[in-house]
Amino acid sequence: MTKSSRRLLGLLIFGALASGWIWAARALWQTSVPANLKLPHVDMSAFVSSSELHRAQHFSFVLDLFGLAGLFLPLVVLALYAKWGHRFMGESAAGPIGTGMLLAMLGLAILWMAMLPSNLGELWWLRHYGIEKTGYAEMVIGTWSALGAEFLGICLTILIVMGFARLLGNYWWLAGAPVFVGIALLVTFVQPYMSGLQPLENHSALVQAEKRLAKTEGVGNIPLKVENVGTQTTAPNAEAMGLGPSRRIGIWSTMLDGRFSERELEFVIAHELGHHKHKDLWKGIGWYALFAFPIAFLIAQLTRRRGGMAMPLAVPLFLFAWVGLSTVTLPIDNAFSRRIEAAADWEALQATRDPQAGKALFVSFVRTTNEDPNPPAWDPILFGNHPTAAQRIAMVEAWQKRYGG
Amino acid sequence: MNEHPVTLHVMDDLRRSRLTVFFRYLLYIPHGIWLELWGIAVLVVALLNWLVALVIGRPAAPFQRFTAAYLRYWTTVYAYLMLVANPFPGFTGEPGSYPVELVVPTTPEKQNRLKTFFRMFLLLPTAVVLYVVLIPAMLICYPLLSFAWWAAMITGRMPRGFRDLGANAIRYTAQVEAYALLITGRYPCSSPYAGMSFEAPVAAEAPAAPSKA
Repeated sequence: MTKSSRRLLGLLIFGALASGWIWAARALWQTSVPANLKLPHVDMSAFVSSSELHRAQHFSFVLDLFGLAGLFLPLVVLALYAKWGHRFMGESAAGPIGTGMLLAMLGLAILWMAMLPSNLGELWWLRHYGIEKTGYAEMVIGTWSALGAEFLGICLTILIVMGFARLLGNYWWLAGAPVFVGIALLVTFVQPYMSGLQPLENHSALVQAEKRLAKTEGVGNIPLKVENVGTQTTAPNAEAMGLGPSRRIGIWSTMLDGRFSERELEFVIAHELGHHKHKDLWKGIGWYALFAFPIAFLIAQLTRRRGGMAMPLAVPLFLFAWVGLSTVTLPIDNAFSRRIEAAADWEALQATRDPQAGKALFVSFVRTTNEDPNPPAWDPILFGNHPTAAQRIAMVEAWQKRYGG
Repeated sequence: MNEHPVTLHVMDDLRRSRLTVFFRYLLYIPHGIWLELWGIAVLVVALLNWLVALVIGRPAAPFQRFTAAYLRYWTTVYAYLMLVANPFPGFTGEPGSYPVELVVPTTPEKQNRLKTFFRMFLLLPTAVVLYVVLIPAMLICYPLLSFAWWAAMITGRMPRGFRDLGANAIRYTAQVEAYALLITGRYPCSSPYAGMSFEAPVAAEAPAAPSKA
């Protein structure tokens, strides 16, 4: 085969893979929200007082500053670590993979130390607004302990990446990416069993409502559970979890403390059931898989200058490349997340046919979380994995315009 | 008296990296998990080996090598955790890879069948010594709660007394395990410095700088 025909073959393969990628991305991007739905402009001052609005804007502005630090400080720290991290190779008596594990763990340890002031500042801000209840020492000890779990995760990652790199050289990503997708699948499946979910007692009406809504949405039997977080936070939340037999809806105990009406809670449950109906957790894994391959490929190319991922010398650069590429893809991940959240809101409206409850819920969210309902345009790009409160209320109004109520 | 077949060789230079000392307990986690998994296999092998030793009068050679490697690995992991040594250990228990090394006989020796049969009961007195020696050593040497941890964090060096105390605790525990796992028929020696050797540290190789290419 001549050089030009090899190049042509390479281009054809790349073209076929790129077409498949685009086709899969388009398929995952589709949602049940009508494509021609026009969201009206919503004046939030009609729903919350100007002092509440001002408070939310002030709170969110400072929180965004901490968010920016959380986004960009790791890049700076890991860039420096990519340059000088190899010096810690002298601290290891292990073989290449063991040394790679040590370098990766130390990278995360240094990152933890660098992020600590910012994380403490963020906690202070959240405590100041009554969102967090966790103490400072508790937070430091908690994150230090959580670092142990991160160490385990990064060791497993390094074992997979370096193990395949030693077998397949710079083609490790072809075997590594499917393994990471498999791990994501496993983690999503077992998450409901690891989240400390408890049976929902003293809320039989809500349990009955969940069964009724599950029937309406045609998702079968999905248990509704509660997650006791009242000692740590006042923030409300609920989530759809699990795959197949492990499917659950986990509602935070903070949503059941009387601040939300039964109708609002039913709307939340209908939203979470909507995620299960649309198979959003599967979609999330599919989306992860779409990016896992190109990101792993790019990391393999970038680390070649350090001898490839078979060498521990490449591990600090691997960390930087991984976090850097994840940051680059964050806006598109957030956009994808906002779309599936909007579709779950739409599903909740269709199932409950109670737009007033939806509107009241989103207004309650502004009051209980202090999140800016109309943040600056860059904010959702970097941090918005849900539509803004104003966009969610606008969707309710668009639904009302279409279906009444 | 240095005659026990299971001996600990310490070639550590007392230098400690403050960063790895600070995170030592967390850095131990992957080793802790691997040690547990390997330990499960060793338990099964030990039971089989016990039966073999009862029948043929000595342990089986492959089982001996397997348990000896585990014991060498165990030693490096605990030396790391207890700040007795500085470098992050490997995961294979390979001889000659760590500044605190357990020398274990890998060739099976003939063992008295009666002593083999009653091995677990014979180990009971060592439990007393383990509690007397090991627990205080751990209280002193374990990270976070220990003086040694603070000393290493502040000075960047491990005080020799703490290091030697930890090394002795490891040596004695390793001898108990070697006896329990039938690696040797020699009873553990509780005398300090018996079965210990302190040698000059081997100069560490400087890590290669990343290539610019």
